[in-house]
Amino acid sequence: MKDIITVTKFAINDMIKRKSFIISTIIILILIVVGFNIPNLINSLDSESYKQNITIVDKDNVFENNLELLKDLELNYNLNIENKDLDELKEEISSKKIDGALIVENNNGNINLNYIILDMSLFYEAPEDLVETLNTLYHNIQLNKLSLTEEELALISTNLNFTVEPIKDEASGNILVVMMLSVVLFMAIYFCAYQVSSSITIEKTSKIIETLVTSTSPRNIIVGKTLGIGLVGLAQMLIVVITAIISANLFLDKELLSLILDVSNFNLFLLIMIIIYFISGYFIYALLYALTGSTVSKPEDIQSANIPISILVIIGFYLSYLTMMNPNSNLNFFAAIFPLSSPFCMPFRVMMGVASVKEIILSLVIIVITIILIAKVAIKIYSNAILNYGTKLSIKELINMYKSK
Amino acid sequence: MSLELKNVSKTFGKKKVVNDISFHLDKPGVFGLLGTNGAGKTTTIRMILGILTKDCGTIKWNGLEVDRKNVNFGYLPEERGIYPKIKIYDQLLYFATLKGMQKDDAKKSIEKWAKRLKVEEYLPMTAEKLSKGNQQKIQFMTAIIHNPSLIVLDEPFSGLDPVNTDILKNIIIDLVKDGKYVIMSAHQMPTIEEFCTDILILDKGNTVLQGNLKDIKNSYVANRLQLNVDRDITSIIEELNLEIEIEKNNEYTIKINNEEEANKVLKKIMDKKISISKFEIMKPTLNDIFIEKVGK
Repeated sequence: MKDIITVTKFAINDMIKRKSFIISTIIILILIVVGFNIPNLINSLDSESYKQNITIVDKDNVFENNLELLKDLELNYNLNIENKDLDELKEEISSKKIDGALIVENNNGNINLNYIILDMSLFYEAPEDLVETLNTLYHNIQLNKLSLTEEELALISTNLNFTVEPIKDEASGNILVVMMLSVVLFMAIYFCAYQVSSSITIEKTSKIIETLVTSTSPRNIIVGKTLGIGLVGLAQMLIVVITAIISANLFLDKELLSLILDVSNFNLFLLIMIIIYFISGYFIYALLYALTGSTVSKPEDIQSANIPISILVIIGFYLSYLTMMNPNSNLNFFAAIFPLSSPFCMPFRVMMGVASVKEIILSLVIIVITIILIAKVAIKIYSNAILNYGTKLSIKELINMYKSK
Repeated sequence: MSLELKNVSKTFGKKKVVNDISFHLDKPGVFGLLGTNGAGKTTTIRMILGILTKDCGTIKWNGLEVDRKNVNFGYLPEERGIYPKIKIYDQLLYFATLKGMQKDDAKKSIEKWAKRLKVEEYLPMTAEKLSKGNQQKIQFMTAIIHNPSLIVLDEPFSGLDPVNTDILKNIIIDLVKDGKYVIMSAHQMPTIEEFCTDILILDKGNTVLQGNLKDIKNSYVANRLQLNVDRDITSIIEELNLEIEIEKNNEYTIKINNEEEANKVLKKIMDKKISISKFEIMKPTLNDIFIEKVGK
C-alpha cells in the first residue's frame, strides 16, 4: 500500500508539472470563459452594429400618412419616409446613400411591397421585421375603419395558446445539460486514460522500467499510476466544471442561463453518481490503455496500439449519447448496463429520473467485475511485456504472455 | 548471508538461454559473470532478481526465495534509463522511497552518494540535459542509494570514461569492504581480474568455467615470457625452438610451455652476457582463459 501511495504521488507530480498538461488546462479554461462571453460579445457587437438606411415610398398613400409612427418604434433601421421617383431612389442606392428602398403600391386592392437593393448578395439583409411591422400597421389601420367594439377587437386579436403535455412524466431534466455533461465526462475519461498509456510507454522507451519493476511490483506500478493520473484528471474535470458554473453565472444573462441550463435536477446523489461513474469509467479505459501502453516500446507505435481501445471508448460514448434522446428505450437501458458505455450513460439516466436503484446496483456490480478482470489481464500482460524492447506485440503474442507463468 | 543458485534454467520458445547454472556466494565480494553477447548473463541476472521467472532450479538468499520482499537488493540494469523530463533529485527520492527508505534518510543518502559520484550539480536538473556518462552514474546511484546487501551490476563500466570508471571502481571496492555481495557482469577482463574473487563463464547458456579466480589462474601453467634486453636475441630464441609472439625495440613476449623453457632462455642470455632489464614468467590472463573457453 505504501508503494502504491508513493507511485500515485509520483504520477501526480509528474502530471501536474508537465508543460502539455498545464498549457492544455489553461487553454480549456480560457475557452470556457470566452465561450460563456460569446452571447455578451454578440450583443455588444449588435448594439454597435450599422443601422441600415431605408427609404419608404408610399405614393398611393396606402398607410394614410401613418408611416411616421414607425419612427417612434425601436426599429433597427434609419427610416426616411419620402416621395421620390424610382430613378432617384436607384441613384441613391447605387451611390450608397441609402441601403434600400421599400416601395408601397396599391395595385387594384393588392398591396405590394417592393424592396429595391443593389444586388442579390444583400438579400439576406432584407428587413423582414420592418415588413412585419408594416403588415401590423396596415392591419390596424383597416381595423380602425370598421369601428369595432373593444370586445370585437379582443375576439379578433385572440392568439391560440400552444402547450405540450406528456402522458408519461418520468423523463425530466434538460437534455442539453445532460449532453454537455456527457461530453465533458467522455473527454475527461478519454484523455486521462490515454495519459496512462503514454506514461507507461515513456517508462519503456526511456528504459526505466527494469529499475522500476525491481523496486516495486507491476501491480503497484499500474494501480498507483492509474490512481495518480485519475486524481489529476478528476481535479482537472472539477476545475473545468466549477469554472464553467462560475463563468455561466458571471457572464450569462440570468434568463438565458435558466433557459439553457436547467440544473433543477442536480442534487448530491447525482453528483456522487457522476463521480463514481467517472472513476469507474476512467479505471476501465485507463487499465485497457495500460495494457496497450506496455505492448509498445517506441513512442511512434503508441497511437496505432491504442486505436482498438479508442474505438471502444467512442462506441461506448456514442451508444449512450445517441440513445439519450430516448431514455425509455431498451437500447438506452442496455447502454446503462454495458460496462463500456454505462459510465457515459447511467449518470444521465439518474439525472433524468429514469434509473431505478436495482438498475444502478446492477450496473455498478458489472463495472466492478469488469474492472477487476481487466486489471488482472492488464497487470499480467504488463508484467510480461515490459521487457519486450522489440517490435509492437501481436494479439497472439499477448495471449501467449497471458497464458505464460 | 549467502546467495545460492542451483540448477537454474530458462528457455525462450525453443531456445535454451540458460542451462542448469549453479553457483554460490557465501561471503562478501564481487562475483564475475562473464560471457560473450547473448551468452545468458542478463537472463541469469533477471532470474536472480525475479524479473524473469526461472523454468526450474532454486535461487535463494539466506535460504529464502529471492524477491523484493525477502532481499534488499540494488540493480543497475544493462538497459540504462532514467526519466528524461523529471528532476534527478525527484527520481532518486522516488526510487529510494520505493526501496523502503524514510524520506529524511533518503535525502541524506542522495547527498552522500551525489558527492561521492561528483554529480551534486546535476541533482536539480532534468535527466535529458545530462551526458550519457552522468546519466549512468545517476542510475548507479539508484542501485546503491538504499544501502542494499546484494548489488547486481550489469555491465557497470560500459560507456564510462577512465575518470568515471575509476570513481565507480573505488566505490565498488568500498562496498565490498562494507560487507556487500556484488554480482557483476562485464566485458572488460582486466576489470574483472581486479575485482572478482569468484567467476563463472557462460557460453550459449552453458557454464564453461567457474570457481575462485585465483585457483583458476593457478591451475594454468605459465605460457609466456616477458623479456626486455639490450640487443636482438631472435637467433637465440629460434635456437631453442620457441616462438616470439611480440617483438618491439628488443622487448620480447615469448610463448613457452613451462617455466623450465623460460629458465633455458635466461641461461643462454646470461651466458652471452646480454644485459636484461625485465624477466617475467607470466600465467594466462583472464582474457586468455576467456578466449580459450568461449572464443573457439
